[in-house]
Amino acid sequence: MLLAYKAALASPRISAAGIEASEFPALAEEMEVWAVPRIVVNGVPQWDGAVPERVFVERVLSATFG
Amino acid sequence: MAIFRPEDEEKVRELFAALERPVELVVALGPEETPLPGARDIDFGAETVRVVEELAALSERVTHRVGAEAERYPAVFIRPEGEEVGIRYDGLPWGYEVGTLVGAVLEAGRREPSLRPESLEALAALDRDLAIEVFVTPT
Repeated sequence: MLLAYKAALASPRISAAGIEASEFPALAEEMEVWAVPRIVVNGVPQWDGAVPERVFVERVLSATFG
Repeated sequence: MAIFRPEDEEKVRELFAALERPVELVVALGPEETPLPGARDIDFGAETVRVVEELAALSERVTHRVGAEAERYPAVFIRPEGEEVGIRYDGLPWGYEVGTLVGAVLEAGRREPSLRPESLEALAALDRDLAIEVFVTPT
């Protein structure tokens, strides 16, 4: 979660929200949240699990929404 | 019940005192989605305000107010020097996630980003807007 916040602070093009899955079950179901953390970019799930900084940045920058 | 043990509260107090710039926490309240059965039977909005008030009470560098529009409620916007920079938390931050909120305040309170130079360089080349959502569950 903190890496997402750091990225948002570092770039005006990035925003980051932590979302408590059990309080928003309809959204969690839509995003197919089973394992946490689940990282979603521009409404499209990308991966599950905490990753180191270099991997996080790579994956966020190469996120696809197709 | 306090959100921190006394020794943790002292630590957070010290960290907040060292913030390079002030951070404002803005709580958005509004109609809430029905949580899953088994979720604690509490007023999430009121509890969120309480958590934020307790954090803001630990330092003059951290302020809070209630009143904002959000996509879903409750939500906490983390605004360095009162400026909206796109970081927030949706839902009641409790348990482990209070630590996440503290971490967000600490990061927002920095004047310079704390990512590595290679990361900053890569992010600077970004040519599109990215909205990152991280789904979490407090333990």
